[in-house]
Amino acid sequence: MLGAVLAIFLIALAGGLAIRAGASIAGAASTAGERVPMLGGCAPGTHAWSRFHARWYPMALLFLAFDMEMVFMYPWAVVFVSEGPLALMEMLMFIAILVVGILYTWRERALEWA
Amino acid sequence: MGLRAALSRLAAAAPVPVFLAPGAGGRSPAQRLRLSPYLEVVDSPRRATVMLVVGAVAAGAAEELHRVHDQLPHPRAVLWWDMETGATAPPPLPTAERVVGDEAAVVGAVVAAHRGLLSAGRPSSPPLLADVEPNDWRGVGPFGQGGKGMTGGTPYGRPLPTRAPDRDGLELDQLVLTLGPWLPMLPAGLVVEVKLQGDVVQEVTLAPSPGLVPGAAPADVFERARVEPVPIAELELARARHHLLWAGEVLVLLGLVAESRRVLRAAVAVVPGAAAAELAHAARTAGALASARRLRHPMARVGLVGADRLGEVAGPTARASGVVTDARTDDPAYRSLGFEAVTEEAGDALARWRVRLGEAVRSLELAAEAGDRLTSVDCTPEGPRGPWRAGGPSPSTALAHLAPGLLVGLEWGDAVVALASLDLEPAELAADAARPAEST
Repeated sequence: MLGAVLAIFLIALAGGLAIRAGASIAGAASTAGERVPMLGGCAPGTHAWSRFHARWYPMALLFLAFDMEMVFMYPWAVVFVSEGPLALMEMLMFIAILVVGILYTWRERALEWA
Repeated sequence: MGLRAALSRLAAAAPVPVFLAPGAGGRSPAQRLRLSPYLEVVDSPRRATVMLVVGAVAAGAAEELHRVHDQLPHPRAVLWWDMETGATAPPPLPTAERVVGDEAAVVGAVVAAHRGLLSAGRPSSPPLLADVEPNDWRGVGPFGQGGKGMTGGTPYGRPLPTRAPDRDGLELDQLVLTLGPWLPMLPAGLVVEVKLQGDVVQEVTLAPSPGLVPGAAPADVFERARVEPVPIAELELARARHHLLWAGEVLVLLGLVAESRRVLRAAVAVVPGAAAAELAHAARTAGALASARRLRHPMARVGLVGADRLGEVAGPTARASGVVTDARTDDPAYRSLGFEAVTEEAGDALARWRVRLGEAVRSLELAAEAGDRLTSVDCTPEGPRGPWRAGGPSPSTALAHLAPGLLVGLEWGDAVVALASLDLEPAELAADAARPAEST
């Protein structure tokens, strides 16, 4: 317990020192003019917070969905040797159904996000 | 020796990270500085210790110049390369150290400034902009919190973006940015106001920087060709050099810095009276780059210009869209050399790349064959960006009219490549903008 507290304290101390050291080596921006983002000379007119359409969002969801299907592979791999070719056939059928899903996604142009 | 002194000595021995701010007439000298092994030309003032203003910058761009200066971290130094030995007014930078002479003198001064900063106690250049925020972030609550909108208050005096319809039929924020004149991904001296949704360009306005002084650069051979006959060999070597320097800029933009150096080295060797082996090497470099497969991915189908959209645009951009137009075909001297224009059909950035490098190869051949033939003064000379008759608007003005329509709808990365592929010269835009004022 004491070791864990000591470790957290040391990590926090090292982090604080690293931030101080970084600022003193690099020369932290101290005036308003030094802090603005670099746009080639012009000042930023609007704030940079802006909401835009993340078109890769459906693709990210698809990735997650298909990624989770792979969870079924683990128990299958455990019984694969004892079940033999029947297990292989079943997995191929499962993957074939998934592939139909991917083909449908492709047809619906959900993989194009640029 | 202390640790600090040892580290300072090591840092002083490394190539100097220098940020270049080219003014009028400074674009190609700034390019040549990339060849120095003692300098590392960086793409952000945050990475530099020395800022080098190359050529003339007028007082109109004082605020922009000061802002870039202030963005260099301490310790910093600022130098001004005066290429015309006192003929131009100094840039509006009170702390700038003036350097006169050739590239070697400038590189020496930059290295000396860097070493002075790190180990010899040279004072860091003080901030030039006043230390005031545009506005305090102040909401309605006792701790500055709360108020109208998502965040409450006005963060540092900057309004939040307004909304506009996007390409997917959604009503989302539109980010308005004014970029330049010294953003390395844009032609130096160009100020671009762009409206972005995500990284998709919605609207673009181009203007030359008010810091560009028309007529500050010495007249080149293309300008002389408008008023007097000039040797074809000299004109064509200048064209080949121009296209190779442009290719060097594009390669830096694509992140191929080592390859860019190779092209720049070939380009600076292309001068009247150069050895035949040097010119042959330049032609081989240009030929290899024109057909390089690795450049297909970033440039193919980017910035498509159909022949129907060209408008006033002529020159390499029109020839890359399949239009056979070249003022040189009207010149009897060129006809006697069997000149034919280099064209491509695709109209994209890759086609413009291939046309310019193909022209560089052709120009080097023409220069070798031309002997002492002179251009005809009755014909409009074909400049590196297109035909430009004396007193007429520059080819860059036509390109600047074409550019906004070309960039809208592109993602920012493609927009930057498309803009670079047009080879706009902001100094020409500034000269065109100044002309009506002179005549009235």
